[in-house]
Amino acid sequence: MNQDPRITAYAVGELQGRERRKFEAELRKSNLLESETGETSELVNLLSSAPKPANKLSQADRAQLFAELSEVNRNRRVRTRLRWIGLAAAACLLFFAWPAYQFVSTDWLSPQMAGAGPWADSSYSSVRENHAPRAQATASAPAALAVPRDPSGLMARASEAVQPLRSLAAMPAPVPPDNASYMRRPVVEARRAVPTAPFLEPNVDMVGEATAAPASEFNTEAYASVRENEFVTAKDNPLSTFSIDVDTASYSNVRRFLDGETQPPAGAIRTEELINYFRYDYRQPMGDDPFSVNLEVSRAPWNPERELVRIGLKGRELPAEDRGPANLVFLVDVSGSMEQAAKLPLLQRSLSALVENLSDEDRVAIVTYAGSSGMVLGPTAGTEKREILDAIANLRAGGSTHGSEGIRLAYETAREHFRKDGNNRVILCTDGDFNVGVTNESELQKLIEKERESGVFLSVLGFGTGNLNDSTMELLANKGNGNYAYIDSFSEGRKVLVEQMNSTIFTIAKDVKIQVEFNPARVAGYRLIGYENRLLAKEDFNDDQKDAGEIGAGHTVTALYEIIPAGQPVPGSPSVDPLKYQRPEQDASATSDELLTVKLRYKAPDGDKSKLIEIPLKADEIPAFDAASEDFRFASAVAAFGMKLRGSPDAGKISWSEIQDIARGALGKDPGSYRAEFLTLIEKAKRLEATRPPLPPPLPIRF
Amino acid sequence: MTPEQIITEALDNYESLLISYAREITGELESAKDAVQETFLRLSRQNLTALRPRMRPWLFVVCRNCALDHVRKIVKFSADPVEDHERASDDPAPDERAMVSEEGRRIWDLVASLPLQQREIVKLKFEAGLSYKEMAETLKTSVSTIGVQLHEAMQTLRARWNFETTEAA
Repeated sequence: MNQDPRITAYAVGELQGRERRKFEAELRKSNLLESETGETSELVNLLSSAPKPANKLSQADRAQLFAELSEVNRNRRVRTRLRWIGLAAAACLLFFAWPAYQFVSTDWLSPQMAGAGPWADSSYSSVRENHAPRAQATASAPAALAVPRDPSGLMARASEAVQPLRSLAAMPAPVPPDNASYMRRPVVEARRAVPTAPFLEPNVDMVGEATAAPASEFNTEAYASVRENEFVTAKDNPLSTFSIDVDTASYSNVRRFLDGETQPPAGAIRTEELINYFRYDYRQPMGDDPFSVNLEVSRAPWNPERELVRIGLKGRELPAEDRGPANLVFLVDVSGSMEQAAKLPLLQRSLSALVENLSDEDRVAIVTYAGSSGMVLGPTAGTEKREILDAIANLRAGGSTHGSEGIRLAYETAREHFRKDGNNRVILCTDGDFNVGVTNESELQKLIEKERESGVFLSVLGFGTGNLNDSTMELLANKGNGNYAYIDSFSEGRKVLVEQMNSTIFTIAKDVKIQVEFNPARVAGYRLIGYENRLLAKEDFNDDQKDAGEIGAGHTVTALYEIIPAGQPVPGSPSVDPLKYQRPEQDASATSDELLTVKLRYKAPDGDKSKLIEIPLKADEIPAFDAASEDFRFASAVAAFGMKLRGSPDAGKISWSEIQDIARGALGKDPGSYRAEFLTLIEKAKRLEATRPPLPPPLPIRF
Repeated sequence: MTPEQIITEALDNYESLLISYAREITGELESAKDAVQETFLRLSRQNLTALRPRMRPWLFVVCRNCALDHVRKIVKFSADPVEDHERASDDPAPDERAMVSEEGRRIWDLVASLPLQQREIVKLKFEAGLSYKEMAETLKTSVSTIGVQLHEAMQTLRARWNFETTEAA
């Protein structure tokens, strides 16, 4: 065991300047020292990533404190007042000073977002819409907003102030309980109902107070609201069209919520990303096709009367030596908020791991923005690993200068060193600050789309908590023909940047679209599970101008359809009177044994014209769920997990334990133990549901 | 800033961290809360504007003193106080530990088995985020002692972690 305390000092960031450089030089020379430091850093990461403790003083304690404080102040000013006047003053002080303080010091967007609870999901998207009108309201009428939010509560606290210390008399506090989740929901709903009404502020502030989270933990994470796909009838909607999605960010993000014993907002649960987080053992493509298509059908585990169809794609594996050279430009957010251990330091370690795996032909450049901006490392060949590692180690967060041309500089750099046969990519690494130099979001999208045409793609790596702008990150990666991953630990960083480096970075087919045609003779209705924000119009399928998802080397992409067999009613589809002028046609395929036909379109990474693959799914009999393949059963378990976690009515009555049993029985070889980890995630969801209090009826809205 | 604002800010930023830290010393939640309550009461009697830039180390120093006072009081009344205290703090506190991931829970369980001084340092570093210098001030020792002790704690943790991991495999 190494007794050199510099190992720990280095791992926690206490080693600076010359000492740090000297130690790093020694690190490079000694494998033992390096591995010991690496392990220590991993422990540091683990220890720092634990959620902060949440115990708080009781309201009575706080009240006592403020009473004492105001008394001290009063004594300083006027030493001869009677004690009871002081207490009255305390009450007044609390009454006025507290709300005033909250007014000046808290972020207007934040109070209701503090500590994401079950209430948070529905508020996320509406909060963003509300930004502008609320800002105006605060600017124009601050006095109105400084009105005390909860006079009765404050009075209660002030009156408690006269009580003895809590250690002498434990007394119940007549104030809302700390965990006031039941108060949150109605406010959120009120905000949704009247999204721009500033006079609802008092209510909103009440929530901020009830949650009483530290200012630094105020949460501005943003999620788009996603409405689940509903069942549609095969007769009226024979075609279902969508773009593939190889992102996996939703899974690690959901994992972070569950690890913190918090219900993830519904908008953060993208079921297709949960399913695609896992690798499936589909066969390698044959011939010239860049990917294989694997269809399977069985029963839905959550509803045996329904069928489940899986469409599984697998991108061709590319041996490291066969791939073209990489031309990577990392665009790194170095704003002050990136300082936390789970952000920039984690990024640095993940990047260093990537650098170790670069080949001599590859080039890496690093551009920073938001803190100090500019080129930190010019395009550097994979042979100069040491130089790259030094530049990564020297990244520092801090400052708030505008990185004026960050993203343009990154693209320029990538274009200057464009490799025709290689992978040209800008990789944006951030915790949610998009102050990349182009402030307008749609302008930013346009820029990314324009650069995509030049052959430079964009991937996004998300870090940290509290400021994560999930929906924007996903959108930008989509626009840039790239993928979006959320990195919450070193092992996740290694998975994304090293293990899956080929698939994350090396696109083998772009604009991959899937169109499924259902045979109404066999299918009454169907529902695509997940892919809600990837749906395309049926006309888009043959439109080569229409952007869609990319598939990387070795990637697997899985989509599931839940099917209501012909003859059963389709929920939610209102009956329509028979048409008067059109005769219902007797379909020629009515006797066909085909359930559906899958059509795929894709382009080569540098191509403009799409190719078409068509595969029918024949099924005379639907095999029982237990007889389905391991991969099929596992993907079904993940789908059920996502649906249940979102509170989807389609999840039926399946229990967490049943989902767990299915997953446990379908672990397969499970390299990397990702599937085993999923079992623990189900356990956490199960426990979370057991501890979640039921929501009482909404409070009336006060005007 | 008014004194009320400074106190509120300090409460918001440090209340939970201090309770968790004090609990490491007193071994139990209620007395930890008492110690933190006492800490903030003492804070309210300070010249807050002058103290504000040094708030973090000041709070941890005073909180430690208050927590130790509590332990001393227990010592007076308890027949076998040291063992009592040790046992209490080895007991993983459910409300805190439940918050952590499986791996995170395991590592913090290991932390609970370290000697008190090292436990304090680990908490101050990874929960409260104090620098070596601030920790030295809090624990009334030198920066290099902090460095050595934290390293010792980390190496013990690493050895046990690796041992457990290989055994589990």
